[in-house]
Amino acid sequence: MTSTVAMNPVDCRQLGVRYGRMVALEEVTFTVAPGQVYALLGRNGSGKTSLVRCLLGHQKPCSGHIELFEQDVWASRRSLMHRVGVVSEEPDAPPTMTTRQVLQFCAGLYPSWDAVGVEARLHRFRVPQELPFGKLSRGQKAQVSLALALGPRPSLLVLDDPTLGLDAVARREVYDELLGELAERGTTVFITTHDLAGIEGLADRVGILHQGRLLVDASLEDLKARYRKISWAPAQALRLEDLAPYGPLGFRVGSLGGEAVLQGDPAPLLAARPEVQVQDLSLEELFVTLVGADTEVAS
Amino acid sequence: MSVLAVTRREWIGRRNVLLLSLGMGLLQFIGLHLNPDPAQAFDKTSFLAVATGTMYAWAVAALYGATMLSRDLEERRFGFLLNQPLHEAQIFLGKVLAGVGLAFLSGLLACLPPLLLSGFWRQLGMREVGSIMGVWLAGSLVLLLLFHALSIQVRSRSLWLALDLAAWALFFLGVRLLSLRLMAVDGFREMAHLWLGLLIAVSLGLAVAGYLQVSEGRADLQRGHRWVSLTMASTLVLVLLGGWAQVVWTLKHRPAAVQTQARTHGIR
Repeated sequence: MTSTVAMNPVDCRQLGVRYGRMVALEEVTFTVAPGQVYALLGRNGSGKTSLVRCLLGHQKPCSGHIELFEQDVWASRRSLMHRVGVVSEEPDAPPTMTTRQVLQFCAGLYPSWDAVGVEARLHRFRVPQELPFGKLSRGQKAQVSLALALGPRPSLLVLDDPTLGLDAVARREVYDELLGELAERGTTVFITTHDLAGIEGLADRVGILHQGRLLVDASLEDLKARYRKISWAPAQALRLEDLAPYGPLGFRVGSLGGEAVLQGDPAPLLAARPEVQVQDLSLEELFVTLVGADTEVAS
Repeated sequence: MSVLAVTRREWIGRRNVLLLSLGMGLLQFIGLHLNPDPAQAFDKTSFLAVATGTMYAWAVAALYGATMLSRDLEERRFGFLLNQPLHEAQIFLGKVLAGVGLAFLSGLLACLPPLLLSGFWRQLGMREVGSIMGVWLAGSLVLLLLFHALSIQVRSRSLWLALDLAAWALFFLGVRLLSLRLMAVDGFREMAHLWLGLLIAVSLGLAVAGYLQVSEGRADLQRGHRWVSLTMASTLVLVLLGGWAQVVWTLKHRPAAVQTQARTHGIR
């Protein structure tokens, strides 16, 4: 009997990275399933860059390991890169080469290079191909990087903060291109970003990295079901102790009333205090609640 | 083909060096044309042109070596190559090939115009021309590898630099002592052989260290430095031990040859 279970594009186990005495990553474990869009979130310095460097085989972890398509990425980086498209945080194509020269360089390295698709994308983005890469605008560099990453028709796309420094229009174009790719080919995507609003409609699963540890690793649906925001008017004086059974996070009371984020189902509280308002959390609110004030959260 | 793709990428990024070299050669050419000196045109012009070309080629090789990878690493551009399906050996070889080729062509462009004016090519045989080119290529390769290793050691700003300094200091001290022992018996020929052997062995060590820096360090400058340091320290110590063994063997088992040479020098 043949197995029908597809291999996970990313399998990260007990990953640890240290720089001298400083711990950058500690026991980070997660998997990304085929076709999934996994968004890794975290504040600056949370360890995202170290994780991406390990994920791409640029850096050897101090402990644990990462496999892409069931192959150790450090040992098999070269063969794996045939199946992986990468957009780096800082556009890193040679600045003196024109976009056309960069395209020619990459096209020669991949047997499955989609020359027509890349041309079409660059045409859609209106990127001048005869200008040196270094002279393109930030948005154009990101667009070229995305076109290059999609060129080899990758099975896995690794995007390291691809919208960093982009204006709203350029951001939208990047996400639209990604949505098109997902709809057409169902490519697995691993993305790190600070653009929480932009990624919310795209991500299936979210990981939140905080001080080198993976604080949260759950589907976006589960997260939204697990955490609810409640608010109340000043007259309804809810105390922190009233919310204790719900594991309150980010409890705040002011002259206009109070609000808190609760873990678990708030139905019993609502039955007892029907005047309390319940709202879904946006990804950004959730992120700020979980990592904004060094909150301890049981994942 | 992937190696050549890397080489081409490097050349496109540094093509201005070739233009600069050509400009330098043309300047020399114009200078000679405006102030001809028929009395010593061939010898002096040829010597100056070849010397300038050699120095220029080696300077380009050293500069290229110093920026070949460490600048990419510092500016976080090395990831572009690592994100492609390229083996570390292809990346390293492609870059080295680009550097040696660039240095060689730069030297050639810098000295060719004045040499053409002096008629150098007509008066020298292919053997002499081949020797000059061989020296250029070998010198460029050694300087490129040396400056690559040094730039990694300096730019990583890690404490491993202490090991590097200690290893190089020990090596030069050892070479000096071995040379003095041979000089004491007028073994100048043996000393030249010793130096050549040491140079070749250290160059091989530099090549291995450079490759390991890419394959084991990759985008991690400090880790790459560790590999360079360990490889170079071991190489220098081993090479020194080899040199010491050679000197001991020369002095103990070939006294006649050395003594004959010593007598010859004494008569003079």
